[in-house]
Amino acid sequence: MTSEPLFLCRVDDIGEGGSIGVAPDHRGRDRVLLVRQGQAIYGYINNCPHYDRAPLGWKKDAFLSGDQTRIMCAAHGALFTITDGLCELGPCLGQRLTPVALVITECEVFGLDIPEFAYGRSTQQSSGAAA
Amino acid sequence: MRIIGPDELVFGVDNVGACGSFLADYGLIGDGNGRFAALDNTAITVRDKQEPSLPAPMKTASMLRQTIWGVEDQATLDQIEAELSRDRPVAKSADGTLACRDDSGFEIAFRVTRRTKLDLPAELINSPGAKPGRGTNVVGANEDAEARPRSLSHIVYFVPDMDKMANFYIERLGFVITDKFTNTGPFLRPQANDDHHVLFMIQTPEYMQGIEHLAFHMQGPTELMLAGSRMVKKGYESFWGPGRHKFGSNWFWYFNSPLGTHVEYDADMDKHDGDWVERETPMTKDAAQMFLFENVEKWAPGGGPPPAQK
Repeated sequence: MTSEPLFLCRVDDIGEGGSIGVAPDHRGRDRVLLVRQGQAIYGYINNCPHYDRAPLGWKKDAFLSGDQTRIMCAAHGALFTITDGLCELGPCLGQRLTPVALVITECEVFGLDIPEFAYGRSTQQSSGAAA
Repeated sequence: MRIIGPDELVFGVDNVGACGSFLADYGLIGDGNGRFAALDNTAITVRDKQEPSLPAPMKTASMLRQTIWGVEDQATLDQIEAELSRDRPVAKSADGTLACRDDSGFEIAFRVTRRTKLDLPAELINSPGAKPGRGTNVVGANEDAEARPRSLSHIVYFVPDMDKMANFYIERLGFVITDKFTNTGPFLRPQANDDHHVLFMIQTPEYMQGIEHLAFHMQGPTELMLAGSRMVKKGYESFWGPGRHKFGSNWFWYFNSPLGTHVEYDADMDKHDGDWVERETPMTKDAAQMFLFENVEKWAPGGGPPPAQK
């Protein structure tokens, strides 16, 4: 079942080789991260496979390693390939980010079937942060 | 053994500038040379990961290169050197700092502490039935308060074998267990520190080994809330908190960071001595936190919460 495409941003909102967080929920948390490489744009749900409801960035729109060659989770440094979201190093080794299907027009980016979620650690066990 | 606690943590990172901005915004004071200090001079140092002077990296994603423990005096250093030299190489640098690896393969070092003794006021509160903490006409809600981390509080590691890790610090360095999460790991304090924990560990597969989080003590819950709120306002990613832990009783607020580890503010942690009997409980969300808030945009009663963003 496909919902209406959701407008995420303009292509130009994402700097070349950069990343951006889009689709804020009612708490202002970005549900989707987008990375642009040349003409290609890759979209993933902003949730590290290591924990449920763990956002990846360390600051608004900051989702990449220092050299911009990988998506980095700023919780524990996990590194993911930009093109297919595979974790190559870190706590979720071998797992993948959840991709978001994108529709890209000449200058705008839309996402399909983006789940609604709100972060909140009160309903989830956080097995890795306890002290 | 008169070990006080973590004196300094050294990181090898791929984005020195971002890490510096983060640590400065978090409230530490930079020296212009990659070292960011709390009010008592305990610190985080960030270097480029290629820098040859750094201890070797782990094979995991962890960017922590060395944990430097502060001890009371030279006699303690000599004691540590004698003890650890029995079964591993211990390097001694010109300034007397000892460096080696622990039984889990973490790079550790020991030096006479460089922390200064703080003489600062606690959070002052007014409570019915008790002598007022603040004088008449002294206002408690100060939006311009400085809110700087006072002291490096604790470090938490992901380790493949929690017993091996814990036993090294207990049997070789005299750390004491205060509490324990079954099948996760113990909370440990060294002999010259009465904080509930300066060291904690979480058992994980080998490929995860590394730092899980680090924390600094703030003045109290109000300062923690103020500092954390400022981080959120600057666009930083809150991971967990603010809330209050059960074991240790400390208030907490965790943030993601470009150092590839959670960086926590804590406040008002329990103190313990040798009379304390350790508690043990399975690790669950209920065991981890007494309560949890989540930062949302400010609103005032009558105004209602902000409308959902579409």
